[in-house]
Amino acid sequence: MTRHIIRRLIQSIPTLLGVTILSYLLMTAAPGDPIRQMTFGDPNMTPQQREALADRYGLNDPWYIQYIVYMTGNDWMPWKYDENGEFKEVVVRRGILRGDWGNSITKRSAVIDLIEVRLPATIELGLATFLVSLIVGIPIGIGAAVWHGKLFDNGSRILAVLGQAVPDFWLALLLLLTFGITLNIDWARGGRCDARANRRTPCGQVPITQRLEYLIFPTLVLSLGGVAGYSRFMRTSMLDTINSDYIRTARAKGLHDRTVWFKHAARNALIPIATFLGPAVVGILGGAVIIERIFSWPGLGQLFLEGISQRDYPIVMASVIIGALLTVIAYIISDILYAVFDPRIRF
Amino acid sequence: MNRLFKFFMLGVLIALIAAVAMPIAAQDGVVEPAGPGEGGVIVESNLGSDPSTFNPVIGNDTASSAVYGLLYSVSIIAADDQTYELLPGIPDGMAADWEYDESGTVLTITLREDMFWSDGEQISADDWIWAVNAVRSGTTTSPRSGVFYDLADGTINGGSIHEVTKIDDFTIEVRLGTVETDENGETVLDENGNPSLLPACDALGDLNDIAVVPEHIFAAQFGEDYASMDSDPYFYGGASFGPFNDPFMDFGVQVSLLANQEYGDTNALDYVAAGEWVYQVIADTNVGYERFLAGDFSTYGINAENQNAFRDLADESGDFQYQEAGQNGYQWVGLNLADPANPLPARDADGNIQDQGLHPIFGDLNVRLAFAHGIDVLEMIGTRPDGDSPATGILEGNGFPIAVHDHPVFSTTRELYEDLGVGVREYDPELAMSLLEEAGWVDSDGDGVRECQGCLYATEVDPSFEGSPLTFVLNTNAGNAARESIGETVKAQLDQIGFDVDFQAVEFGTLVDVLTSQTFDAIILGWNLGLPFQPGPSLTNLFGYGVDVPGSGFNFTSYANPEFNDILTEMSAIPGCDPDTRNAAYAEAQRMLWEDAPYIWLYSGNVMAAAQSNLANWDPILPGNASWNIDDWVVLDPNN
Repeated sequence: MTRHIIRRLIQSIPTLLGVTILSYLLMTAAPGDPIRQMTFGDPNMTPQQREALADRYGLNDPWYIQYIVYMTGNDWMPWKYDENGEFKEVVVRRGILRGDWGNSITKRSAVIDLIEVRLPATIELGLATFLVSLIVGIPIGIGAAVWHGKLFDNGSRILAVLGQAVPDFWLALLLLLTFGITLNIDWARGGRCDARANRRTPCGQVPITQRLEYLIFPTLVLSLGGVAGYSRFMRTSMLDTINSDYIRTARAKGLHDRTVWFKHAARNALIPIATFLGPAVVGILGGAVIIERIFSWPGLGQLFLEGISQRDYPIVMASVIIGALLTVIAYIISDILYAVFDPRIRF
Repeated sequence: MNRLFKFFMLGVLIALIAAVAMPIAAQDGVVEPAGPGEGGVIVESNLGSDPSTFNPVIGNDTASSAVYGLLYSVSIIAADDQTYELLPGIPDGMAADWEYDESGTVLTITLREDMFWSDGEQISADDWIWAVNAVRSGTTTSPRSGVFYDLADGTINGGSIHEVTKIDDFTIEVRLGTVETDENGETVLDENGNPSLLPACDALGDLNDIAVVPEHIFAAQFGEDYASMDSDPYFYGGASFGPFNDPFMDFGVQVSLLANQEYGDTNALDYVAAGEWVYQVIADTNVGYERFLAGDFSTYGINAENQNAFRDLADESGDFQYQEAGQNGYQWVGLNLADPANPLPARDADGNIQDQGLHPIFGDLNVRLAFAHGIDVLEMIGTRPDGDSPATGILEGNGFPIAVHDHPVFSTTRELYEDLGVGVREYDPELAMSLLEEAGWVDSDGDGVRECQGCLYATEVDPSFEGSPLTFVLNTNAGNAARESIGETVKAQLDQIGFDVDFQAVEFGTLVDVLTSQTFDAIILGWNLGLPFQPGPSLTNLFGYGVDVPGSGFNFTSYANPEFNDILTEMSAIPGCDPDTRNAAYAEAQRMLWEDAPYIWLYSGNVMAAAQSNLANWDPILPGNASWNIDDWVVLDPNN
């Protein structure tokens, strides 16, 4: 297993490099320019000032030079030094391979700092969504298989269709307006904590037990699709499993139905689910962008959305790299889970 | 008697309870809190993202300026809150007085000696000059170095400020003006070898582009390594001159400031009434509005689409207060007058005015005028609901038409240009069609779209253009509902008179690219005008030769009129800077602009500032100064 993980990690290096090259190329080739956009509407900005700003961020270089600087930094490039050995550019970059994620063009701060302050909120929401999706979705799927063709099965089917058909943003707005505005429930209007009660304390430092209610609606909206998906998948998997020979054998041995369903069938039915648990986490993070916006949830999604719309290249690249890394890791976790659920599988 | 006594005692009791429970006393119409800083918490919405900095020397985004404007409200020369006129000796202004020398190019500013940072240090010339040196170094990301003629490394920027000298702690001398050129366009030098200067009539306001910061703190932190400010954007050294201090930031959630009771330039009260100011991030404007209605924010700017509903709600419920005024800007359609296939700057490499070619359609004035008469701006503005009649139009009556580039509220030239015949062009499709016929655009095949039959471009530039359809691309930014509606309306109305409009709402970054690269046909956008509004710099910055530069200039329509430019150049440095002479000249320039129609001016919207009814002393000056007396604001609700 360890060798398999190491092999997969090594295999992922060219994948990640390919993703970064392609992303950088597409990003710089796309219409829009961060400096023009940032300074648009400021008539006092001279063309020289715009050029100076573009120079500062290295945006006047060809895209492949920009990419190399982004990956490896600019301090090793001999042509960046004058004859006295003085570094000619304003900003020294070390490159992401040496841990420098760059500085945001529009937000001035180091990208790694921006990620650091927002990542916990995203993990919190992602984890809550993931857990709710599994804890609710899988039992519903098992129940639908156990009572297939009955009322519970039909009810869960309707729930699944609704869960996948209802747009996230619409449901989020509906919940916010109904509970937050009409019923005037403070926490239903969004945020990560009661900012008024916790004055000048970052929400992240307020114990989660004191702000659990703020997770309810964002989690509910984000997990609805997961609940729908997992329940249908689990139902199908369970129905496949109960027609297996070993289940028939278990029944022939006179085992109790509950033991057959939950001990023998459910465990094996979980194996296919394991294959997409990892990628599902990445999907949740992607889907959270709009929900974070509506519920004013201070996570990464909002940061990445702003970065993309403002052509803030370092933030765009950070979002791509984090997404790619998470995907690679998620598939490795899927492999591990697959082996855990099915002892026959050996890498 | 017994009953009377009971009533009397009841009255006394009520009065006592009221005195204890509501420690608010009315005095000269100003509501006072129980004491300094006990006027509650002001919560305002930040409809965007986190401030990128607390440092006014480098900051330029709206969220940042909202925060540092309360930390460092001091400026070298302050403007009157009502009129925006730059005046000596008024609150928040360092200048007690100033005077020009005989040449009109050397300004001596005498500073007030009664201003102190919140840590007790006296505010002096060093506090402004440190920021001047920082911006002039050219090593920071400050967008304001354009006000200097040159930077520390000798790079010529072309701004009006040439030299800033500290005479003593409370006297500063500034050399500012427009560089004098001879008939060949060469710079005239004075006896010291410096560029000879002419008085720059609008340069005084440029001084305020440079912030005032506590030099004793900023110099200790950054020294002369001004670039390092960008690595520490949230630096705050513990001293402010403004109603609030001590910033606290929870990223993605809010910024909080605490009352600064050392602030010396308070308004009606001698102290800061509120205890805290909170600036809460709300990414979605619809959610923001609903949350304001639910009481989450003390104040809010009501969008055009909600104004009628909000007005009714506020009038009926009494839960809100609001004020309305014309907007600090306007919406327009910009028409590319030059060849979009070969965008060129107005001046060539030698500084000579060059031919930029013709736009195949909008290069012809008659077509532009047909566009103006072919769209019904009044219908776009519409009407407010009246009884059973519902609201109409895109703005539902919350706006008014604009004739030409000017400030909708603070105009100094409107009467003058109106006397010259400038006015809103009427919707007249018949006239529009006859203008198109005259311009050589005829629907010869009866398909509803006109073709070039002897149009200007075919006769002057390319004969093969003959027979081409009257089709063009109209762009705006996607996501702006009002502009998208304008686009649809313009398309529908122009298609009726023989145009074939391809309307496309594109992402903002893409739109900026198309616009500034000067490769567009027509674009719908809006300007937010700066205050104080100065017609000369404003016209120059949007329609002058100097800003017709593909890739960066704002004269992207390539409007080129030598007489217009001569007026702007002459009036920027006219001896004596007589306001009447200058206003008359600018009105003439506005007439030329209106006649040449590089823009189709649409409308100015209505701005509506609202507050909860429990926010006392809220008295916005619209359109641009809603928070001028924020130090007086009192939140009456004890739960806040």
